[in-house]
Amino acid sequence: MNILLVEDERKLAEAVAEGLHGEGYAVSLSPSGEHALSSLRHQHVDLILLDVMLPGRSGFEVLADMRRAGFKMPVLILTSRDSIDDRVVGLDAGADDYLVKPFAFPELLARIRALMRRKLPAIFSSLQIADLTLELEGRTASRGGKKLELTGREFDLLEYLLQNRGSVVSREMLAREVWKQVMRYTPLDNVIDVQITRLRRKLDGEFQKKLLHTVRGVGFVLREDEP
Amino acid sequence: MILRYSNVRHRLTLWYVSVFGLVLLLFICAATLLEYWQLSSRLYHAEVQDIETVEGLLAFAPDGSLILHEEYHNHPEHILLLDRYMEVMTPEGQVLLRNAKLRWQDLGGPPFPNEGLASYDKRSVRLRDGTRVLLISHIHTIDNRPLLIRLAYSTESVEQGVIQFLGLLLLAVPPTLLIAGLAGYRMAYKVLLPLKNMALRAETITANQLDQRLPVENPNDEMGYMARVLNDLLARLQDSFDNLKRFTADASHELRTPLASIRSVGEVGLQRLHTADEYRDTIGSMLEEVTRLTEMVDGLLSISRADAGQVALHGTIFTPLDLAREVVGLLGLLADEKGQHIQIEGNANLLVRADRMLLQRGLANIVENAIKYSPPSTMIYVRVSRSETVDIAVEDSGATIPEDLRQKVFERFFRIDASRSRDAGGSGLGLAIAKWAVEANGGSITLQAGHDRGNRFVIRLPVV
Repeated sequence: MNILLVEDERKLAEAVAEGLHGEGYAVSLSPSGEHALSSLRHQHVDLILLDVMLPGRSGFEVLADMRRAGFKMPVLILTSRDSIDDRVVGLDAGADDYLVKPFAFPELLARIRALMRRKLPAIFSSLQIADLTLELEGRTASRGGKKLELTGREFDLLEYLLQNRGSVVSREMLAREVWKQVMRYTPLDNVIDVQITRLRRKLDGEFQKKLLHTVRGVGFVLREDEP
Repeated sequence: MILRYSNVRHRLTLWYVSVFGLVLLLFICAATLLEYWQLSSRLYHAEVQDIETVEGLLAFAPDGSLILHEEYHNHPEHILLLDRYMEVMTPEGQVLLRNAKLRWQDLGGPPFPNEGLASYDKRSVRLRDGTRVLLISHIHTIDNRPLLIRLAYSTESVEQGVIQFLGLLLLAVPPTLLIAGLAGYRMAYKVLLPLKNMALRAETITANQLDQRLPVENPNDEMGYMARVLNDLLARLQDSFDNLKRFTADASHELRTPLASIRSVGEVGLQRLHTADEYRDTIGSMLEEVTRLTEMVDGLLSISRADAGQVALHGTIFTPLDLAREVVGLLGLLADEKGQHIQIEGNANLLVRADRMLLQRGLANIVENAIKYSPPSTMIYVRVSRSETVDIAVEDSGATIPEDLRQKVFERFFRIDASRSRDAGGSGLGLAIAKWAVEANGGSITLQAGHDRGNRFVIRLPVV
């Protein structure tokens, strides 16, 4: 899958590109809007990551040009301006999603996955990792054949972690997707940490093999092997 | 500045002198008119007296001619005798007598119907030789014959008296105006002196000397009032400046701390070869500090945007009790960890209009604060009630904050006990954010002492 990253900040662009490479994406870089437009004509691109503060014309203008030229691939805007007005302008210009810098890398990955998923929606009735099974219909979880007594929030949390198994999820993602909070604020981070600790006790407490791991400074991940 | 100031002084003086001069002229006119009227009336009375005398002295001689017994007077040179103009005629107009002073000119021409019949008729007449006289006429009967006696004196003396009087008064005008002008100029100087002193002092006040104040010479007059108003302004400026200075110092400290950790953790990580796990730990530790920095910058941006009035509010009407339940539902887990219990009470019918998300953020910061500083296994109360406003009160059982610090807890980076707060993971912005979140919604937030112990944060929102 090809991603075009339009970003003039070289250090950030290279870091993001390397991270995306690691996740198996093919990434090409454009330092300006003009460069991006000509790249689009010469290569196939599945998704565009577009910075707003570009030299010359702004990302919003470049985006409008792309849409006028008939390019329909999903566009994720990256910007350090987070006012509601900017969001509206971006989405009006034809963006599919909006991410504020500085962003957590797992968040970027999740957004990319979400934009890609739009193309092929998948419905599962159950989710599984190792000996952990989640029945989505009856909202029950069991590990090694033994039922786990989870609260509603713990189930939601586990479901989200399982949907993203193998990928790190950040606190921002959990606040938005599990706690359904539009605005992230500090007290919520503490709540998330406590909730994760409790879930871990129920999930991994009696088992030799740990599934829920903390990635220090980044977030949490559900996976079989030790990182 | 100096030019404008002296202009005001000149203008004040000019105004003062003009008004004073105008009043003086009006006074002189009135006084002159009064003097004229008085002199005229004195002349009239003298004439009436004289005509009575003359009537007693008139008699018909045996030959039928009319004569005046002037020998009656002791002093023939008496002014009344010398200056008197007199004419006697029959009511039909036949002249019987004209005195020498008249030199055979007529006095007032033919008689009018009923002239002098009722009393002493008075009029002003000009003689043929140009002399203006005041004439009075009276009918007097001698030997059963009615006689019209006309008697007059020149008004020259009256006119001269008035002109002398006027001249005397006018002579006094220039020195009076000069004295008034000098006094006014001096007075304007004295009145404007406090202003000048204030200006001189104000010129020396700079950002570094905001503790200086303007001189207040008389606190009760207008200048004193202005000086007090300006001093209040200076006090508020000083306050803001001090706040800003403290904020800058605090902010640089708070921002430098995580930067210093990132730097030293990174440098130590590169000092020698580590295992992969150790590197992970190093990078994770750096990322944690980055998160802390990001939160702090986000918080500061929110507050400064609020300060600049750039927050777009999305007001809705909702039940504050629901909001309280929601916040407690989110944060209850933290209380649960400490064995605390949060009790929500209040009126479910109260409504407020506010930006729900913003208010939730504010309330969450306060409830989290209560959880953080209350001892384990205590109660925290969230009460929604109605007074003049809709009140959301959060009561904890932490150590009561001393009264003099209660306003300060809402300031950015304020910590009662620096080390303890940082251990608890606070950014030092929670309550500052709560304050702006509430104030942006038109409400207010205060901190009081709890009923028996602890603290009581009260959010007051306008009633819908």
